[in-house]
Amino acid sequence: MPADAKAAAGQLGSAVTNSNNGGIDSAGVIHNIGYRRYEDVRLGRPAIVRALIWHSLRSAFGIGRGAKAKIFPALLFALICLPAAVNAVALATNPGGSPIVGYDGYIPSLRTVVMLIFVAIEAPNVVSADLRNHTLPLYFARPIHRIDYPVAKLVAFVLACLAMVEIPLILLYLGIVSQQHGASQVWEQTLRLGPGLLYGAAWAVLLASIGLLLASTTGKRVFAMCAIGIPLFFTWILATVLGHVGEQAFGPAAIGQPSALASLAGLISPFTLLGGLLRWLQGNPSIGPAYHPLQPVTIGHYGPVYGVLFVVLTVAAIAGLIGRYRKVGVA
Amino acid sequence: MISQTMPHGEGRARHAAPGAVIQATALTKCYGATVTALDQLTVVVGPGITGLIGANGAGKSTLIKILLGLLEPTSGTAAVFGHDCVTDGFAIRTLTGYMPEHDCLPPDVTATELVTHFGRMSGLPATAARERAADSLRHVGLYEERYRQIGTYSTGMKQRVKLAQALVGDPRLLLLDEPTNGLDPAGRTAMLELIARIGTEFGISILVASHLLGEIEQICDQLVAIDAGRLLRADTISSVTQASAVLLVEVDEGVDLLQAELARRGLTPAPFQRGLLVQLTGDETYDAVRDSIADLGLPLSRMEQRRHRIEELFRADPALAGESGASVPGSQTMGAPSAS
Repeated sequence: MPADAKAAAGQLGSAVTNSNNGGIDSAGVIHNIGYRRYEDVRLGRPAIVRALIWHSLRSAFGIGRGAKAKIFPALLFALICLPAAVNAVALATNPGGSPIVGYDGYIPSLRTVVMLIFVAIEAPNVVSADLRNHTLPLYFARPIHRIDYPVAKLVAFVLACLAMVEIPLILLYLGIVSQQHGASQVWEQTLRLGPGLLYGAAWAVLLASIGLLLASTTGKRVFAMCAIGIPLFFTWILATVLGHVGEQAFGPAAIGQPSALASLAGLISPFTLLGGLLRWLQGNPSIGPAYHPLQPVTIGHYGPVYGVLFVVLTVAAIAGLIGRYRKVGVA
Repeated sequence: MISQTMPHGEGRARHAAPGAVIQATALTKCYGATVTALDQLTVVVGPGITGLIGANGAGKSTLIKILLGLLEPTSGTAAVFGHDCVTDGFAIRTLTGYMPEHDCLPPDVTATELVTHFGRMSGLPATAARERAADSLRHVGLYEERYRQIGTYSTGMKQRVKLAQALVGDPRLLLLDEPTNGLDPAGRTAMLELIARIGTEFGISILVASHLLGEIEQICDQLVAIDAGRLLRADTISSVTQASAVLLVEVDEGVDLLQAELARRGLTPAPFQRGLLVQLTGDETYDAVRDSIADLGLPLSRMEQRRHRIEELFRADPALAGESGASVPGSQTMGAPSAS
């Protein structure tokens, strides 16, 4: 039986290799250690998806990807925490003073810039790396379903964005509370923090889903960064400029109602959309000079439009992401 | 074992086909209207190491992806361990490890991290995934280098990592797509030895796709040959290679003498270029050639085992095999005509 002889020869060959391994480059040698079967418990699909979420969340902050990958997330995180730290120091040195940063918008322009850079840099790491390295077949050959992959990636990146948005709020809260006396004051701060956290979640969900959808269009990291960064940046600029134009050119808002252009310009960019959403939710159409100098979004009577567009945009981005991975090739 | 051409051959351990690992029936896969990757493929594969052989584009990768439930067949059915590939791909993927043909590894993680991660993706708890990742990497021969980033690896090391991630979940079946791709001869030999060991010692069934018959037949129990998406032949390795292996003997002088002597010893030598081709039936052939040359005192310059091209080898019709030329001496008598 030649086949048997062949198998025996194969074993003989590996045995010979083993006995010689001292003299051969270790990379070229296959050592003979017994194979152990895995008879223990196997986790199901939910546990696998949870593991993928955790893995992706870590990778969004560069953990498990080498030292270089940690630089930008760490810098951005430090930057967005800075106002909370400054606020804490200010309150500590000036007891009785009022907080210089609010929970609702934090510092919107800083948050916009930091989140724009964070999403543009890290969303490609979360999804386009697997496209670039053709790693997807390894995932789809595992006991998960197609939809599990984009859903896990989305949950992970939403959590990553939440960390970037909410942790500074919590630090801000701790800084303020540490200077407060009495349970009622602390409770009052807690009540203010709640809506701030909810609004921060809106940021995380919208930006994460848009960022991942754009990042999943290409495997090239640089292209993916541009695909995210350029539209987000320029729509933000455009929305801001048009908002100003709308107020200057079509009757100053001080007279009464802001013009339609000024009110609708904020819909152009996700960041001003989020700003408008906040104004609408606060029931503050922010007419003219009354508006927050750091959040120059005017919504006029169009508040509900901001709410609807927020939902539509989020749902569309998530659906697009899932659809993308239903079609993606496994070759 | 393979059912297609069962009646002949001295194959090894012939279980009475209850445990079909892979079963495909009239499997067809078309891409668009023009490209047919698989065409009415019907084959049964049993346990052990099975070579899936075919030229590039013959449909090997397509078959593997259908078996994993990654692609849906246009028509026909396929099953792995009795699980239907279309409706029950999930169950198949819990039992199967897959090593893709192309590069599929991220460069900026270490082999340990990658294999651990894919262990978890196979449903192993965190601790077990770490342990089995270390084991798998040792099995494939990666030691200290497994703590380095994969981007610094040679092609051979990357192939080992790809095999390790397929092995980490302790599969019942490994689907290996061109595992020796891009390896140098030493790397090929090591990889083939490794696959043979996984198949024989670890007790894992393996379907290994390759376009190189010469290397795959060293390790396989069975061969499935496909061409243009159709089954050419499915058989045990012994019946295939017995019919195919020939020995090329070159002597500096006295070719005629040697031919006569070999013929006297019951062999059927045929002139080929400057030497003789002798049908190889086993060690006794080597002995006969050695003794003949020694008795005649001829200067032997070269003796090597040769194989036919895949298409010749798998031509099911013995008449065609005979036609294919004088380079296959005695194929009518030696060849194992297929059951058809």
